[in-house]
Amino acid sequence: MGYLLRTGQAVLWLAGTLATQTAFASNPHKLHEHPVWLTLGHYHENSWGSGHTSQADDPGFFLSEDGKTNPKAELSATLEAIQQPGEGNDHARCRFPARDAWLRQQLDLPNEPVSCPAYEDWAGTLNTEKVTLVFAASYLNSPSSMFGHTFLRLDPPQDDNETDLLLANTISYAADAAEHDSELLFAYRGIFGGYPGITAIKPYYEMIRLYNDIEHRDLWEYTLNLSQPEVDTMLAHTWEIQDKNFDYYFFDENCAYRLLALIDVARPGTDLLAEVSTHAIPSDTVRWVRDKNLVESIHYRPSAATAVSHHLDSLPDQHQTIAAAIANGFVQLDAPEVQNLRSGEKARLLDATYDYVRYQSEADNWPREFAAPLSHQLLVTRSRIENAESIPPVAEPAVRDDQGHDTFRLSVGSGQMAHEEFTQLTLRPAYHDIVDPPEGYRTGAQLQFLRLDARLYHGNDELQVEQITGVEIRSLSPRNQFFSPTSWQVGFGGRRTDTETDRVLAPYLEGGAGGSWSLGDNSQAFAIATADLEIDDDIRRGYDFAPGADLGLLHQSSRFSLLGGVKTKAWIVSSQHRQDQLYLKANYHIGREFSLFTEFNREDHFDRYQSTWQAGIHAYF
Amino acid sequence: MKKLIAGAILLGASSMAFAQPGCGVGAMIWKGQSGIAPHVLAATTNGTFGNQTFGMTTGTLGCSTNQSVQSMAMYMDSNIDKVARDMSRGTGENLDTLAVLLGVEDVDRADFRQVLQDNFAAIFPNSETTSGEAVDAIVALLEQNESLSKYVAA
Repeated sequence: MGYLLRTGQAVLWLAGTLATQTAFASNPHKLHEHPVWLTLGHYHENSWGSGHTSQADDPGFFLSEDGKTNPKAELSATLEAIQQPGEGNDHARCRFPARDAWLRQQLDLPNEPVSCPAYEDWAGTLNTEKVTLVFAASYLNSPSSMFGHTFLRLDPPQDDNETDLLLANTISYAADAAEHDSELLFAYRGIFGGYPGITAIKPYYEMIRLYNDIEHRDLWEYTLNLSQPEVDTMLAHTWEIQDKNFDYYFFDENCAYRLLALIDVARPGTDLLAEVSTHAIPSDTVRWVRDKNLVESIHYRPSAATAVSHHLDSLPDQHQTIAAAIANGFVQLDAPEVQNLRSGEKARLLDATYDYVRYQSEADNWPREFAAPLSHQLLVTRSRIENAESIPPVAEPAVRDDQGHDTFRLSVGSGQMAHEEFTQLTLRPAYHDIVDPPEGYRTGAQLQFLRLDARLYHGNDELQVEQITGVEIRSLSPRNQFFSPTSWQVGFGGRRTDTETDRVLAPYLEGGAGGSWSLGDNSQAFAIATADLEIDDDIRRGYDFAPGADLGLLHQSSRFSLLGGVKTKAWIVSSQHRQDQLYLKANYHIGREFSLFTEFNREDHFDRYQSTWQAGIHAYF
Repeated sequence: MKKLIAGAILLGASSMAFAQPGCGVGAMIWKGQSGIAPHVLAATTNGTFGNQTFGMTTGTLGCSTNQSVQSMAMYMDSNIDKVARDMSRGTGENLDTLAVLLGVEDVDRADFRQVLQDNFAAIFPNSETTSGEAVDAIVALLEQNESLSKYVAA
């Protein structure tokens, strides 16, 4: 019954929304070109030639044999099928409730009730009042997760004390990779196609477990301002596409993309998919959704890692030491330094210690024989303290991920290298440089893709590629008495390298690992052992390799970012020379749209000193 | 309404070939986790392994015929660490979820939280306690409580 009622509402609402588009309604022969029909069929204009092709890769999604490439034939077939007598789960009206509702409204067809037990059960179980777009932010010490992940949560009515958000269901779209596929195969098929994409419905607590607890990612919940009829239309269309295959592509037709299509269906005219060009970075899709005024409220759910750090930080220093001692087995819970605490303090100490032990057990594989009995003792002791004031929850970050600087960066600068003047242009399609405005990004993390640095030397008017960065990842995470993460970096591409007589563009691969230590709120010092490999015909033996070290300081604040230090590399295969560098990069941020930058590099290589400096501006789009 | 709640859980479980409800020991509390999954590429490229199974791997349920108790047992099976944590503190969203699953009315929720916190050591007698044992202990406790026994009546 709910289905009939809801479809009725949805139709009324569609009628209102689409009143302006009566041109289509008055000409049923053109109905297959209606944007709503094209959206419902996931049709996109062909890049070459005229016509449309659907992104659905599943014959079960079409009623016409050439439905994939022919929206008109698909519409005719759908019209015919939904007007067939009969009902039940296999009837077209039950298989395609969103198409059915829309066509009936457009063509003024009688909307006789139809019985669809499976769909009605499903929609009744989902019991959805609001839809929330959930964004899983990148996680600590893993810049490769920076793109984030998105899924939709179907929120039950909130005024009902028999429902609960942890039990709410979520819709996500993911590549259905076989478990035994290697990461390489996963990457290849993800980029060039070959994985079916599936729409999965799972309870929210499982997503929390995966993202918040196992992957240590903060979750941002953006509740959309969709009305009940819009929500019902989205569900009707979800029913149409669930279990249908849409091939999965990492960069464009990915998790975020399919969800945008669902929102487009729910609110025709939103056209979020038009924002997608070559790639759909989930954090960008959140920006689009926000900019289309689809967001009603935002809620922050810190990850286990964020929460445990916060809980430990909120303890007085002395108690932090006790917590570390308990967790490592040096102090027992019945020791006087624990027993003599006031009950509130003791409760907070036990809570923070428990969270820390659980975190370490999962993230750092603490042995169960040690961690489980300790966890049990902590909780039993804690359960004897009643009505203790709990640790205040993690404050929501002042700047959300979607409010951070835009990810495409264009830079213009000019400077000198060994007294030769040059102008430099840099294009960086994605994503974040460690000295870019830090707000909305993880501290100490960097991920750059496909960056191109080109220089025009004024002396001889020569245009040179200075560097092409394929990928550059860097993660500096401070160590302390509770956590000892490894700071690391990896990158590859092509760069100018000095062969003593010339500067040639050589492919390189570099990496490093070490540690970082906090120097107050916004600064850290790091020490990294590095390794560099360069390959080029102009290098004496065709390649060169250098172990090395990088010692430096990083300061990041909303106004100012600074990275400086010394690097040394011992080229041991071909050139047999040491390369020592002193470097400094400073960016002065003007809001999150622009940064003024300056770089200085003093180098000792092949027994000669050389300085390079440069200044200019970064603009973020 | 009870049907909807149980349905919501079953809907999630069905995607993972969940075992048919029956009696079982369920998940052991604080079993080791595999840590951060080494899915660097998966994370970079927003793919997830659609068929990955974690959480509810072992079939469990108390032998109760009460559907609410079964729902609670299923929830406990995949969230036992967090339920235990919230129980020891006498507050928290996982405890609220248990109350929702058992259909505990607002007026009884404070009592519910109190009883579970006070009897934590009885519900989780040692670090080898399984979710099935914890569910049985919770049911036994609530049955003895005048205002709460109605929520676990068979």
